[in-house]
Amino acid sequence: MFLRAADLTFGYTRRGPSRTAIAPDLVVRDVSLAVPHAAIVGLLGPNGSGKTTLLKLLSGGLRPLSGTVHLDGQRVETMPRRLLARRVAVVAQETHTAFDYTVLEMVLMGRYAWLGAFEVEGRGDHEAARDALEATGTAHLANRLFPTLSGGEKQRVVIASALAQLDDRATTAPGYDGSKRALLILDEPTASLDLRYQLEVIALVSHLHARRGVTIVLSTHDLRVVRALCDSVVLLREGRVLAAGPTATTLSPALIAALYTVDEALVAPLLG
Amino acid sequence: MNEGWEATGWKEAGRRLRRRAWLGGCVLLVSAIVGCGAPPREVPATTASATRVVSLVPAATEMLYAIGAGPDVVAVSSFDRFPAEVADLPRVGALIDPDFERILSLRPTLVVVYESQDDLIARLDRARIPVFHYRHAVTGALAQVTDTMRQLGDALDRTAGAETAAATIERELDDVRRAVGARTRPLTALVFGREPGELRGIYASGGVGFLHELLETAGGQDAFADIPRESVQVSTEMLLARRPDVLIELRTSAGEAGTVDAERAVWNRLSALPAVRDRRVHVLTDPSLSIPGPRIAQAARTLFSLMHE
Amino acid sequence: MARTLTQRMVVVAGLVSMALAVCLAPLIGSTTLSLTRAFDRTIPFADNLDAQIFFLARLPRVLAAAMVGGTLAAAGTVFQALLQNPLATPYTLGVSAGASLGAMIVITIGATLPLVGVTGASLAGATLAVLVVYALAQARHRGLSTTVLLLAGVTLNACFSALILFVQYLGDAMQTFRAIRWLMGSLDVAGYGPLVAAFPFIAIAFLAFAWLARPLDLLTLGADAAASRGVDVTQTQRVAFFSASLATGAAVSVAGPIGFIGIIVPHLVRLVVGASHRIVLPAATCFGATFLVLCDTVARTAMAPLELPVGIITAMIGGPFFLWLLVRAR
Repeated sequence: MFLRAADLTFGYTRRGPSRTAIAPDLVVRDVSLAVPHAAIVGLLGPNGSGKTTLLKLLSGGLRPLSGTVHLDGQRVETMPRRLLARRVAVVAQETHTAFDYTVLEMVLMGRYAWLGAFEVEGRGDHEAARDALEATGTAHLANRLFPTLSGGEKQRVVIASALAQLDDRATTAPGYDGSKRALLILDEPTASLDLRYQLEVIALVSHLHARRGVTIVLSTHDLRVVRALCDSVVLLREGRVLAAGPTATTLSPALIAALYTVDEALVAPLLG
Repeated sequence: MNEGWEATGWKEAGRRLRRRAWLGGCVLLVSAIVGCGAPPREVPATTASATRVVSLVPAATEMLYAIGAGPDVVAVSSFDRFPAEVADLPRVGALIDPDFERILSLRPTLVVVYESQDDLIARLDRARIPVFHYRHAVTGALAQVTDTMRQLGDALDRTAGAETAAATIERELDDVRRAVGARTRPLTALVFGREPGELRGIYASGGVGFLHELLETAGGQDAFADIPRESVQVSTEMLLARRPDVLIELRTSAGEAGTVDAERAVWNRLSALPAVRDRRVHVLTDPSLSIPGPRIAQAARTLFSLMHE
Repeated sequence: MARTLTQRMVVVAGLVSMALAVCLAPLIGSTTLSLTRAFDRTIPFADNLDAQIFFLARLPRVLAAAMVGGTLAAAGTVFQALLQNPLATPYTLGVSAGASLGAMIVITIGATLPLVGVTGASLAGATLAVLVVYALAQARHRGLSTTVLLLAGVTLNACFSALILFVQYLGDAMQTFRAIRWLMGSLDVAGYGPLVAAFPFIAIAFLAFAWLARPLDLLTLGADAAASRGVDVTQTQRVAFFSASLATGAAVSVAGPIGFIGIIVPHLVRLVVGASHRIVLPAATCFGATFLVLCDTVARTAMAPLELPVGIITAMIGGPFFLWLLVRAR
């Protein structure tokens, strides 16, 4: 199994008035899941069900209170940050910059993990960036300022940055094992987009998956996204796995109705 | 410079607090008066004399002692060090922080204040306490010293004593002027402020004021006479370019006495200055040199001997 | 790419303008001097007044201006990235208030502590401020919280300002006047001592800045985004905070808290070359140095023989410029 999470539990610790740690409110409880290489897995769940937190645990951005995450047999927690970043890229819901970077600069930032402390991007890094821009259809935007882009363009540029991050070509960086197996994590990639951009992003993810064979875990509220993209789906409710399995069987009216606490009759038409 | 707004914020808060405290105080006071009447206050009997003088001006304090009114002085400013008798007297603040209540409680018959202390003057007027306005003169500063002594004499009925003391000072100053005569006047920089151990933040006497007049009286030519200010911040470049023959530095603040040799050596870095080359850099710690009081003749003699002997 | 070409040209232009400013500014001064005499090696230096004016008064002063200007501009750039706030200055986190407090104490009551100079005391004050702010920002979080950093810095600024007023209140009129004058900034260093003393700190800081250029870019995307791209966020924030504070403390100890350079120069540079710190940092350093050398040249010649405090010049140019920047249509 490429990505395996076992019994993940996590809660944000708060400090009490006397500086003693209060028992955290658990956001993720005993979640286990397995993602085979080159699969697309969807995380589905209502607001506050712990999707974003679970993605952060999977990407090594948060440390679980208990449980483990293994990527290709290696424990994520113990992997050096740079080595982990070469294998796992995250596309956040929204990306803001305090300053005006160009699109090319944004994509080149994805190459950070491949460069030494004082190293300047070389030919290979620029090629990776150009390929990523072309793969996401944003090559013509290369010299535009990121904050001036539309929401869909921004999302595609951030995905391009993630692709550049996972591109392992022409690397001379020490400690790299030559494995091409990479994980792309997308946190609600279509959430703030209108229909046209939603479709664009769905098409892009599907295209990338087909061409690059990258493993993808994405969270979404959108049943259409799951149906269009995902091989399998994990239903998350109040931090626990409600159900998990192949999209075709798991995306049943009964389970979706239970997931969102709504009437089954209302859900059925949405599932076609 | 960026601390400006925070500072104003604090100040504003302080002011509000003070206003509230003041209001509270009023309420308490009124209830006290209504309840039991004002308690009778004992007049402190520090002196047998009927004349009771409070001086907020160190120079004026010296003058009061010089004209023979010393026994009348009941309180002085926080910066008074001379004469020795003031050591035991109560302190009632200074230019920016006069303690009005303490001044009142001493029941003075005359208060010597800076003429810029408008608030204090108005409050003393309301309390019908006579006030002597001390004027800080920028031009004619030496003459102002003896004038002020005579005016203080008039105000305190010590005209004769004041006249004697003032005339003595004027005679002594004339003696110094005569001694200077036609001697060549060395170009002199009179420095009175500098960061310890460094040649930075240098302040010198410009072409007006008490120190400038003292310097010229004592037979020097002020190196910064063309700048019509009492205090000039002097850059290294300007100091070098003016080429003073003599450099006199006053380090008169408390605690500076122990560092004279080290501080004089700091000037050696400017070895091309004629004053440094000819070993005519002098560091003085005598506080009388920075006070426009009755010791000006003595100060003039000191400067004369540094420049001409 | 067109942009990269402009960027390189701007950095080169910055280097050239800095070099020109440092070479030409010592030729101008409040007095006239003979350059032939100044460089005449046959006259012993101890007797050569022109040489002393040139080498003891003007040259160290111009070098100080270049060093302080470049340092403040670079430190401002780093603070803006660290706090993800374009309005941050090198003084936002209380470094200068700490340095000023140290200087005020020596100027006002320091006559009794002859061993501690104003420079040393301001460095000590800056260090104190940095450690207090760091301890506060570290206290409740793993890693540094930029919000807590900002709040702690602003509050500390206010506290130190109150202490500064208190210390000034204790002094007499002359000491208070000198203290206020110190706060306006002065580059008349009268020799190379203060420069040599500050140089190691500034050199270390700039080494750190060179390392920071790339991770700072990523840090401006937010801590999570930077971490997922392989940046050790806490380490980067720590290095940025301490190096920029170190640089600021050293610069303030040399010249007092000269304002506005740390904010207008980085913004001006970003307008031309964009946001990438690998270009902004060197360009801001060069133009910050040039800007302060020019301002100080104005300060020492405009009203000669009187000298204007250089902080007034930078504020008079910087204030209106900054307002324009704020209201500028985007």
